[in-house]
Amino acid sequence: MTASLMLEVDGLVKRFGGVQAVLDLSFHVREGEILGVIGPNGSGKTTTFNLITGVYRPDRGRVRFAGHDITGLPPYEVCARGICRTFQIAKPFRELTVLRNVIMGTLLRHPDPAAAEARGHEILQTVGLEGRARMVAGSLTTIDQRRLEVARALGTGPRLLLLDETMAGLNPTETEEAIRLIASLRNQGLTVVVVEHVMRAIMSLSDRIVVLDQGTKIAEGQPKEISSDPRVIQAYLGVEYRRA
Amino acid sequence: MSPRTYVPAGFLVFLLVLPHLLPNPFYVHIAVMMAVFAVLGGTWNIIGGYGGQLSLGHAAFFGTGAYVSTLLVNAYGISPWITLWLGGLAALLLSVPVGIICFRLQGPYFAIASIGLAEALRLLVLHFRDITNGAQGLTVPFKGNAPWLLQFDSKFPYYYLALVMAVGVVLIVRRMERSRLGHYLVAIGQNQDAAEALGINSSRAKAKALALSAFLTGVAGVFYAQYTYVIHPDSVFGLGLSIQIALVAIVGGVGTVLGPVLGAVIMEFFIQFTQIAFAGQYPGLELMVYGGLLVAVILWRPRGVIPWFARLYEGLVARLPAARGAQA
Amino acid sequence: MDLTTILQGLLTGILMAGIYALVAIGLTLIFGVVRIVNFAQGEFVMIGMYATYWLWKLWGIDPYLSLLITMPLLFCFGVLVQRFLFRPILHAPDLAQIFMTVGISVVLMNAALFFFTADFRSVKTAYAEWALRLGGVTVSVTRLFAFLGALLLAGLLTVFLTKTDVGKALRAVAQDREVCMLLGINPERMYLLAVGLGAALAGAAGSLIVPFFYVFPTVGVVFVLVAFVVVILGTLGSIEGALLAALIVGVAESLGILFAGADLGLVVVFAILVATLILRPSGLMGQA
Repeated sequence: MTASLMLEVDGLVKRFGGVQAVLDLSFHVREGEILGVIGPNGSGKTTTFNLITGVYRPDRGRVRFAGHDITGLPPYEVCARGICRTFQIAKPFRELTVLRNVIMGTLLRHPDPAAAEARGHEILQTVGLEGRARMVAGSLTTIDQRRLEVARALGTGPRLLLLDETMAGLNPTETEEAIRLIASLRNQGLTVVVVEHVMRAIMSLSDRIVVLDQGTKIAEGQPKEISSDPRVIQAYLGVEYRRA
Repeated sequence: MSPRTYVPAGFLVFLLVLPHLLPNPFYVHIAVMMAVFAVLGGTWNIIGGYGGQLSLGHAAFFGTGAYVSTLLVNAYGISPWITLWLGGLAALLLSVPVGIICFRLQGPYFAIASIGLAEALRLLVLHFRDITNGAQGLTVPFKGNAPWLLQFDSKFPYYYLALVMAVGVVLIVRRMERSRLGHYLVAIGQNQDAAEALGINSSRAKAKALALSAFLTGVAGVFYAQYTYVIHPDSVFGLGLSIQIALVAIVGGVGTVLGPVLGAVIMEFFIQFTQIAFAGQYPGLELMVYGGLLVAVILWRPRGVIPWFARLYEGLVARLPAARGAQA
Repeated sequence: MDLTTILQGLLTGILMAGIYALVAIGLTLIFGVVRIVNFAQGEFVMIGMYATYWLWKLWGIDPYLSLLITMPLLFCFGVLVQRFLFRPILHAPDLAQIFMTVGISVVLMNAALFFFTADFRSVKTAYAEWALRLGGVTVSVTRLFAFLGALLLAGLLTVFLTKTDVGKALRAVAQDREVCMLLGINPERMYLLAVGLGAALAGAAGSLIVPFFYVFPTVGVVFVLVAFVVVILGTLGSIEGALLAALIVGVAESLGILFAGADLGLVVVFAILVATLILRPSGLMGQA
């Protein structure tokens, strides 16, 4: 039985002045899978997220979510429909507590602030931040800030979660934790797209991988296939990648 | 009963008996103006403090309320108790296109547009003098003591009405602060992009805040018209008034519930003091000091006076004993 | 309303546009480099006007000659403002910046009221009534000089910004502060320069306008409002945009006065602001 398509990206094109950020990009995400997206720096990974979530409008192409065309919808609308993303450079609400940060997310589906707060606590438990609920977000460590990004996104009750380089700068233990967390999210029914540079993590997490280079897809398939694909190796040629 | 309950309660009682303690009606007038400014500063705060959108033209809403109400009262004899709401409604409707136009943009556009709005309205009211009586202003027909027409011969009822409005605004702001809108406004103020990614429609949130603020400001404008019996374009649409309103919130404490109340008290003291001290002999001196006050506050106390006052209050409350009898 | 009257209105608008452009350019320069919205820009004009008036009244210095004094004077004033009032709030939230400049504006306006009273003052030069007659249209010489003076200064500024090293450094800081620091450009100095220049331009506008405009404490308010509309229409930070927008606003205001009434000129300007914000908020020079 084929799983239904959660997300379809079809022929996306985006240009910024003289830079072709994304050129004829197409891929899909199946419901319930973890899709890994890799590619050298500047290959258009974050731009793709921005195009999907409405931060940018594509010059051409369509984005379909669960069968509905969401191309060009504003970010808050995309989130309301069920796609939530984290940012590569974390954007916590610095002066607010961890709990209040998450509540900003849970308020979407729980308009009553008391209910939103209760749900917030649940989410914090899930990501392991419950102990820091009252800490000010600006004073969190890197890994906790990442957790907070994920927690906030989870609060909005998404069906599809887009994670942008969540594991950058984490040590091996932290990376292990992150992998387990993301896998558990998938096991709870979420569909996840993970953009990463940390190869080990993404190879072990992903059900499928899409490889981008210079704004277009150059390869797609199982992790094993990808790691031995000559086109992928060439794209990374000369780029020494380190773990974290 | 803990001091946290009886101190504010005691203060409220004090406010209720205040007019009877004051030596003459002039002081009651000062108290009324303090309450009015507390209302204006509080409503400004909704969009300026919480919403992060600085309005330098709130007089537009104030004047709209005042003029709409007075025109209706004069033309159709409608009771001011009704035009109180109509004036607020008119101001609210005025705010809608402003919000739609400005809030989808990021930048100083709203601040600039707000000045333009108030000025444009002022000039229009001056221009169409057949309807508005131009620079001479409009008067509310004097009917002596007529409570059903929102007219009283003593200042006391005005004071209590103003007090109700001020307390009302404080409660409304507090309620809003804890509501979803209040949370969303804070999120937008912290980081609008992150907020939008969480499903927050920032334009809509700001528009709601502005609508609420405009409505309440319009109501205050109606009250003012009834209280002073005469309104002029320069006094109710003036840039000076808009700045005063913003100053109340800034000096008191932007984005706080009680800041504007404090700011209003300080502001009114200041206005009266300079008027008495300089007895109108030195035109411009008062406002010069006022502008200097604004600059000083921005440089040294951008959060306003409220943090300092809050510390004082906390210190006081900590020292007071719990009242015997009712146990917490 | 016949053609001649309309042409006259058009001409008046164009001539006035020069002054609006000068004030707006100063505003947009300050915003472009220092990123501060200077609500006190109108008061810089007002100071220029009063300085020009007093120079004429006390020592008989011709307004156009006084440019040589008022421009440096306002330049220094701008530098002081930047150093002591703007610098502390460079990274403060918008609220602090806007209210700082509003506060400065209030202080200056009322200082003028306090020291010089609310009396309307005017300068009567020998050439005040001179006019050129072209067909049925009259061109007041003083307005023409103001226009030409404004154009000249705008031209000089453009040359400065494009051809000199300092000018290019200024433009660079407007684009990217951090990169500039890496290139050895001191942004602090550039800020001082930008605000100084912005103030000097406003002061120049004041001097140029005194021969045909009344001098009074609140004269700055009108100028700053119009300048803001010009800046927004012309795109924040763009000098060419400010010139073009000033033309549009000047003519529109003039025609508005003709058709709608003398006191509604500002309302027409406000209508332009609204139209800009609705149709093309990034301005004429910005991306749609």
